[in-house]
Amino acid sequence: MGSSAKRKKEKQKDFQKPKLKVGKAKAKPENFTDTSFRSKAIVLNQQSLHVSAPNADSQFSHHLSLLSSKSDSQRRDSLAHLTTTIASRPVNSPLPQPVSVMLPSLLPLILDANNNVRTALLKLLRTLPNNDVQDHVAQLLPYVRAGMTHLAADIRVSAVEILSWMVEAAGEAVVSCAGGWIKTFNCFLSILGWHTEESARWSSNRASFGKSGSQGRPMVKVLGALAGFLDAGIGAPGASDGGEDQLVVHSSSTWPFPLCQTSQHMISDSATPYAYLNLFGQPRDEEGEMYETRGDRFRVFSTRFLPAVERGLKSAREEGGELGRASSGVTKVLKEALSYGSGP
Amino acid sequence: MVKRKLGALEKVEADLPNLQHKIRRDPKSYIEDFRAQHYQYESHREIFMAAPSAATDTGIISLRELIDFISHVADCYPEILKDFPQQLIDMLMQHHLVLEQELREKLVGSIVLLKKKDLIDSATLLHTLFPILISTPSKTLRALLFQKILSELRQANSKTTNHKLNRTMQTVLFNLVTSDRTSSKALWAIKLTRELWKRQIWTDAKAVEVMKEAALSENEKVIVGGVRFFLGGDKEREDMEDESSDEETLDIGRLRHTLQINKKSKKKARVAEKAMATHKKKERKKTQPHPLNFSALHLLHDPQGFAETLFSKHLQSSKSKLNLEQKLLVLQLVSRLVGLHKLHIMSLYSYFQKFLTPRQPSVTSFLASLAQATHDLVPPDVLEPLVQKIANEFVSEASAGEVATAGLNAIREICVRQPLAMNETLLQDLVMYKKSKDKGVMMASKGLLSLYRDVGAQMLKKRDRGKEASMGLRSGEKEQRRFGEQETGGIEGLELLEKWKEEERRKKREEKGLASDDDDEDDDENDWAAWNVEDDNDSDDSGGWINVESDAEIELSDSEDEGKDRPSKKTKQDDPETKKDENIAAEEKKLSTLATTRILTPADLAKLAELRAQASVNTALNGTKSRRAGLPAARHTDDPLTAQEIEGLAALSAAKATREERIAHAREGKPDRDEHKSKEARRRERKQEQGKSTTNKEKARRKNFLMTLGKAKSKNKRSLVETRAVLKAHHDRQKRGGKRGNVGN
Repeated sequence: MGSSAKRKKEKQKDFQKPKLKVGKAKAKPENFTDTSFRSKAIVLNQQSLHVSAPNADSQFSHHLSLLSSKSDSQRRDSLAHLTTTIASRPVNSPLPQPVSVMLPSLLPLILDANNNVRTALLKLLRTLPNNDVQDHVAQLLPYVRAGMTHLAADIRVSAVEILSWMVEAAGEAVVSCAGGWIKTFNCFLSILGWHTEESARWSSNRASFGKSGSQGRPMVKVLGALAGFLDAGIGAPGASDGGEDQLVVHSSSTWPFPLCQTSQHMISDSATPYAYLNLFGQPRDEEGEMYETRGDRFRVFSTRFLPAVERGLKSAREEGGELGRASSGVTKVLKEALSYGSGP
Repeated sequence: MVKRKLGALEKVEADLPNLQHKIRRDPKSYIEDFRAQHYQYESHREIFMAAPSAATDTGIISLRELIDFISHVADCYPEILKDFPQQLIDMLMQHHLVLEQELREKLVGSIVLLKKKDLIDSATLLHTLFPILISTPSKTLRALLFQKILSELRQANSKTTNHKLNRTMQTVLFNLVTSDRTSSKALWAIKLTRELWKRQIWTDAKAVEVMKEAALSENEKVIVGGVRFFLGGDKEREDMEDESSDEETLDIGRLRHTLQINKKSKKKARVAEKAMATHKKKERKKTQPHPLNFSALHLLHDPQGFAETLFSKHLQSSKSKLNLEQKLLVLQLVSRLVGLHKLHIMSLYSYFQKFLTPRQPSVTSFLASLAQATHDLVPPDVLEPLVQKIANEFVSEASAGEVATAGLNAIREICVRQPLAMNETLLQDLVMYKKSKDKGVMMASKGLLSLYRDVGAQMLKKRDRGKEASMGLRSGEKEQRRFGEQETGGIEGLELLEKWKEEERRKKREEKGLASDDDDEDDDENDWAAWNVEDDNDSDDSGGWINVESDAEIELSDSEDEGKDRPSKKTKQDDPETKKDENIAAEEKKLSTLATTRILTPADLAKLAELRAQASVNTALNGTKSRRAGLPAARHTDDPLTAQEIEGLAALSAAKATREERIAHAREGKPDRDEHKSKEARRRERKQEQGKSTTNKEKARRKNFLMTLGKAKSKNKRSLVETRAVLKAHHDRQKRGGKRGNVGN
């Protein structure tokens, strides 16, 4: 019915007579405003299509930007792409983008909700060169700490994994950067539940809140990471590889005879040699302070954390099994550190 | 950045509200979990502090949610969260310009929450929020902050007045206004003060001082804000009070009734209990004494200095940048101050001279201001040229009716306040306009005439004086008051009280069967016994109601010679003594001695207030006359004189008013008439409102159509015999008068 009426109307339109008027049109009023307008459009008849494929660099930065994508799989795939690109680059050639550019988009992924994304992130981080990581530890640590205390257990575990990678890659930098020692240690205690006497007892409900993770044996991993962290922080120099390296570096600074301690007066080889002065940052409190020498760290450790750690280790050993075995690793490091004392 | 959509699983993993709930129930057991979240917050804060403007939406949990969580459980772990309030305050103070909007609002909300939990005091809160309020460019944040500050101040003053806090806040506002007089930041001080004044939280001179400084500022907006406060702040306050006092008055009886009938549930019981509590509170409030609040104009410390500075700074000086409208506002304030406090600013009157022409835009406002600035201590020779000029410019046969009306009204308003400003020839000339064809002019002229019959009858021609005035002149009791002479004061409504007492006494005597004129001392003792206001006093059974005489008839005076000496209403109350009418004049003398011969008890004073209210209602009811005549006595000295009053009838004339205005005017006397409906419909509505049931007829009418179908169908199938039987039965029933019948069989 509707269409027929419409058709009728159309038909009628054909036979209508236009009314013609003679003479001038009526004059417009004085205050008449012309509101008609013309529009112009820009028409693109071609898209910018490249014949050649985008080069590796631009692809790299494109995938870098895709890291903040909404879809999980997209983020994971981009991470995988970045990883292969970095890993497959020629030896000793620089990274496609400097680490300082990559980090801001990588860091939030430490707290990503998806397991696969975090695993891929860890893979990518492992491919980064160690000395580049050293300079950016201060940026990484807050995110790692946030991950370690996260409500979701999976995120906690992967944050611990990232921390143990960082300790491996740049142990000295991790423990001596601002807030790196006390704050990180606090996070360890909180993840293990060793803070108070009450919570360290084996009968207490340890993982009391939050969904337990899908990956097994979280405590074992945490204990392993703690061992590495302790070793990097207060391990007896010479006992571990890292310490030995440093010693070698120091002793092998072979300056000719009259020059002694000249290395102290040379330009430092770290990226931020004056970071301890804290010229531009917020004023730090005790927890956020830098503890640069082993002596400092040992002093803080023995006053603040030693009782809690010993108590925790004891209960872990009593629990036995895999956990007990993991705790023995920590105990060993602790014993060596204690026997070395507060330093030479 | 677009906010990431969260899957259901992700939410379950990071369920902060759940943890919050558990912590609130058992803080000790969950301390480890809380500690973990606190570290989480610390690290997020660290990340945030490194780059405050960057997006904070990282991962599942954002800083915002953490702040929300921690501030909600902050009272459970005071020693872990020692620095938490200060951290939030710092975050807001330092970065409020670059913060993401949601986070900013969360910060404000959390700080207020911490105040609610008593972790910070209100002074800290206000010192945090107020500087941001006046410096932030964001409109939404300003609105939020303003609301929070206001509610904080209200809350701090809810139980008792927090003098310390008020004083500090007022000092802050005062400094804000006075520190930089050219900036518009002082608007916030004005807004805040005005709001608090309206809610009667600040009623002291210090708040007025803030506004006074604002009015003397150099920024136009601030000036206007300050001036508007003085002109309208008190009215606003009164309106607010009226509004709050007649909020829904719930019927306790009905509430109880519905509670009995309806299904009983815990929730309903709780609601009812709450309603009862509010009702009780309201009742208690009703019996409390009325708080004595002075108007802002009365609380000024140095009105003369203030008015002079206002006048010289904003009106006289050529550097003032105010436009006409703003100048008029300032002028209104100055003239009100002059009139109210009887100040002397001589240059003010010569300032008016150049504005008094009919062509001047909004000249009626100028005329109103001039009249307002007049009082009985202004020298008449300052006013005389002004009156003369108004008469010359406005009042002539050739000028339009509205113009002449405005001029005459203005002259009358001036002369009400200073009768000596008029000379005899001018008066006689102006009075001649009572014969004018234009109604407005005629009324205005008559108003002037009746005024001078009262205050200066000897200036009128003999035939204009009227009966009472000429009698008064002859007996010598009506003399023109001389310059500066003051009237001896009395208590308003005292004669009403006296009359009422007389009547009561007479009634009692009639009950006892005594002669009505015997004076006896023993019922004076009764009066003393009733020293206090009795709650269940049977004499004022109406309980807050005011008696309005139902049969007061309104008489419009047609004959001009009678003027207003005739009583406007006749009361048909049962007073048998006609002799009382005769010696009214003699009695009036006696009445005023009441206050001097005896002590008024609180009960007396309460009655006095009631009588006064009744009298005012009565005059308002037959108010058409008094409004037209513009009786100055009806106006309180605090009330301003408006341009509408000067315009007189012209404002109401059919040509000027829009349709809406006319409708509003017609509706003025009939409140609560929402729409036109039949009586039946109105009754039905009322019944339904009261929760009463419907009649059978109503039920039948509203019955579902489908349910009636069956009966209608069966009707069609009846046989003839059946139909006959039914009709017959119906006829019989009708005869009997319904099923039950009314014959008694």
